Amino acid sequence: MAQAAIQSPARITPTVDVGAWGLRASALIYLAVLIITPLVVITVEGLRGGVESLWVSITRPAALQAVWLSISTAGIMALINGVMGTLTAVVLARYRFPGKRLFNSLIDLPFAIPTLVTGVMLVLLYGPQTALGGFLSRELGWKIVFAPSGIVLALTFVGYPFVIRAVQPVLEALDTRPQEAAYTLGASEWTTFRRVVLPAILPAVLTGSLLSFARALGEFGSIVIVAGNVSKTAAVYIYGQVENSDMAGASGVSLLMLAIALTITFIVSRLNKGITR
Amino acid sequence: MNERASNGLVGWLLISLVLGYAGILLLAPLVMMILGAFKDGLQPILDDLTTPDALSALGLSIRLALLAALTNGVLGFLAAWVLARHNFTGKRIFNALVDMPFVISPVIIGYVMIVLFGRVGWLKDFPIKLAFSVEAMFVVTVFVSLPFVIRELQPVLATLMPEHEEAAYTLGASRWMTFRRVIFPSLRHALTVGVMLTLARALGEFGAAAVIGGAVEGSTETATIFINRALLDRNPSAAYAMSLLLGVIAIILLIAMNRIRHAGGRHVHPN
Amino acid sequence: MSIQIKHAIKRYGAQAVVDDISLDIQDGELFVLLGASGSGKSTLLRMIAGLTPTDGGTVILHGRDVTALTPQKRGTGFVFQNYALFPHMTVAQNIAFGLEVQRLPRRERDARVSELLTLIEMADLGNRLPSQLSGGQQQRVAVARALAANPAVLLLDEPFGALDVKIRGQLRHSLREIQRKLKVTTILVTHDQEEAFELADRIGVIDHGRLLEVGTPDQLYHAPQHRFTAGFLGAAAMLPAHRNGTAVHLGARSLPASADTSHLANQPVEIMVRPESVTVALSPEQVEGHRLGAGLVEGITFAGAFERLTLRLESGEVINALLTTAQARTLALRGGDCVWVGVRDYHILSAGV
Repeated sequence: MAQAAIQSPARITPTVDVGAWGLRASALIYLAVLIITPLVVITVEGLRGGVESLWVSITRPAALQAVWLSISTAGIMALINGVMGTLTAVVLARYRFPGKRLFNSLIDLPFAIPTLVTGVMLVLLYGPQTALGGFLSRELGWKIVFAPSGIVLALTFVGYPFVIRAVQPVLEALDTRPQEAAYTLGASEWTTFRRVVLPAILPAVLTGSLLSFARALGEFGSIVIVAGNVSKTAAVYIYGQVENSDMAGASGVSLLMLAIALTITFIVSRLNKGITR
Repeated sequence: MNERASNGLVGWLLISLVLGYAGILLLAPLVMMILGAFKDGLQPILDDLTTPDALSALGLSIRLALLAALTNGVLGFLAAWVLARHNFTGKRIFNALVDMPFVISPVIIGYVMIVLFGRVGWLKDFPIKLAFSVEAMFVVTVFVSLPFVIRELQPVLATLMPEHEEAAYTLGASRWMTFRRVIFPSLRHALTVGVMLTLARALGEFGAAAVIGGAVEGSTETATIFINRALLDRNPSAAYAMSLLLGVIAIILLIAMNRIRHAGGRHVHPN
Repeated sequence: MSIQIKHAIKRYGAQAVVDDISLDIQDGELFVLLGASGSGKSTLLRMIAGLTPTDGGTVILHGRDVTALTPQKRGTGFVFQNYALFPHMTVAQNIAFGLEVQRLPRRERDARVSELLTLIEMADLGNRLPSQLSGGQQQRVAVARALAANPAVLLLDEPFGALDVKIRGQLRHSLREIQRKLKVTTILVTHDQEEAFELADRIGVIDHGRLLEVGTPDQLYHAPQHRFTAGFLGAAAMLPAHRNGTAVHLGARSLPASADTSHLANQPVEIMVRPESVTVALSPEQVEGHRLGAGLVEGITFAGAFERLTLRLESGEVINALLTTAQARTLALRGGDCVWVGVRDYHILSAGV
């Protein structure tokens, strides 16, 4: 029976073989059943009719539209959160201001609030019947609720913490000496940030953005409220298919979304290789 | 990165920008909802929340969330432990896959449940009739809230020095005693935060539950499904009331988590 | 005999990190394992404690063969390089830990903890957390914790490595005092030869997993058996020579060789000369000790308490000499000057060891 091995080879592991093996087994069964099962199911169902049938179900106009809407809105959101999230993390690391601790706690709000409630809140603020929503719609022709903008807004809310929380620890752990060296060499704050700090935090920014992107692709609760059935994202599309018992239709797009999600996960895992994860 | 002694003009501009952005994005809707819900005072909210349907939906959500927290707390702890301290083939892949529930749409999860346990599903003869049932809700809730405990614990486990355990061994402590007195106390905070995040995520679950068809009022309707149905039934005040309640619970969890993070003395963050 | 190690072996892959080491340590002795980083000394220490399993050999503590025992059962006290204090426990709780394991009743535990706190001179710091202590204080707590349960042997793995030079001196002194007072057999691992001199009753020199030699600091400094030891314990010039009869010959010159080096007869040898034994004079008659011949001053370095002279002998070898300030002033040497070199003491080693 394999002895439980801990990182460094010099460590002794007082032999408790059975215990370690049982531990490992139950943990892995837990993970395997819960995570691998869906992967298997989705893959099998998606390929059930063969690759051709998969292709057909994905390339239906409604399906393509929905997938494209998901990708484009998630992409815009990832961009917005990438920039603003980095900025927020930098501001938190660099400056002091009243209410900073409170603000830092609030950042996690989107993690805690049910996405459905997020949708409700956004409709209450920007819905067509509200002052703000009505104003924007009439004066600027900018429809938020029941339109793609609303989707981007909801996704931005939901994805808000990802980049910030990914970048913060990196900023905190950053060695300040290269920056100080840059200052002594005459570089301005902005130049130093651009050429010394930014490259160092870029992997974290990318990780956070990618994770928020992947998260946004699957978002459902807030989209359903904010965009209803008017603008269908992939998730809403799949929901519709299942409701109509069109399992084939649902399976194709599900497999596609899964493939995208897995790809992103592995890219992120690569990016994080050096970091404790 | 060094904290600046004084913020300067650029500093304050940036601070305002960041706070303004957060205010508009996060706070405004929250405030709007609170104001909107309290428009007619507290009583209507309480009325809406104490209907049999509302109470049952709330009860179900809370039960599911607690069960998921317990399951993921224990098994997640084990999983994090094994991932941090054991080496085996495929470990890297397993570790990456822990993020799966973050990135798969909950709708797809509900779909998987139907494929597996539905009337014509793979496991349609499975002894427990899982689809469209509370048990199914439990499984999906556990799935979607899976990563939190694991991801909170992993960084802390990684920083545990083997020397602490070795010191305990040389002082005569058994492995169990060492775990109990030396290792676990360092993990308490991370575990608690992980469990709270699990609770929050579980309470907020909607997509998968919606697909599984938890639309039977009183038996498989969760709080979130209640909200959705209330909106569809043109009963907005009930929807807002329940939204408000869930929002308040979320904020309470948030505040508690931050207390614990500070008590833990380290900057631990979710992801 | 308190501790016996017989043919200890530890391999990582194909390489032997501890390569057949046998050692006997006396009761109440403070034994220092001295070697460079990666020489295997820490590994050996961990094998004694049971933290690293052996690939071969036995460890006997006070007559008990503990080779197969877990660390819990060996009764050793271990002080780690980074102290490994339990971060969420107070100083007192850390120290009491081993006593709790032994289920000592509360009152006796508290008494013992007090005793130890006084011993390490931290009597009123019992309620502090490790994060609130300085490096030196943490180290003392680590020592107290290891001593609390009266271990049969105290093992210390480079305990002064992480500390400021100033603190090191004080703590070395206190450690020595504590060890003498408690008479606990102690093994200390270090790469610092100054530390070894100050603390050790005996030193074991380790190089690349092998135990080269064991001796008192004086023996090892003045009469090492190995080239490595000679160089590791201080500055030394190694002059190749040949021994026969009753002398060693370096080229044209010869120096007397005592009878106890007769086993090196008719062999190439090396003469170890420490800089402080080298003498310098302006004329051959004034040379103190045995004459080595003429030499050229190649460099003079100021080193505070003395001046270091680099000399090239006629035969081509380069050796260093140490001059006190007074001597330096008297001689008033400069680079390029020619002087006469002598040597007061020297030691003969077999070449190729």
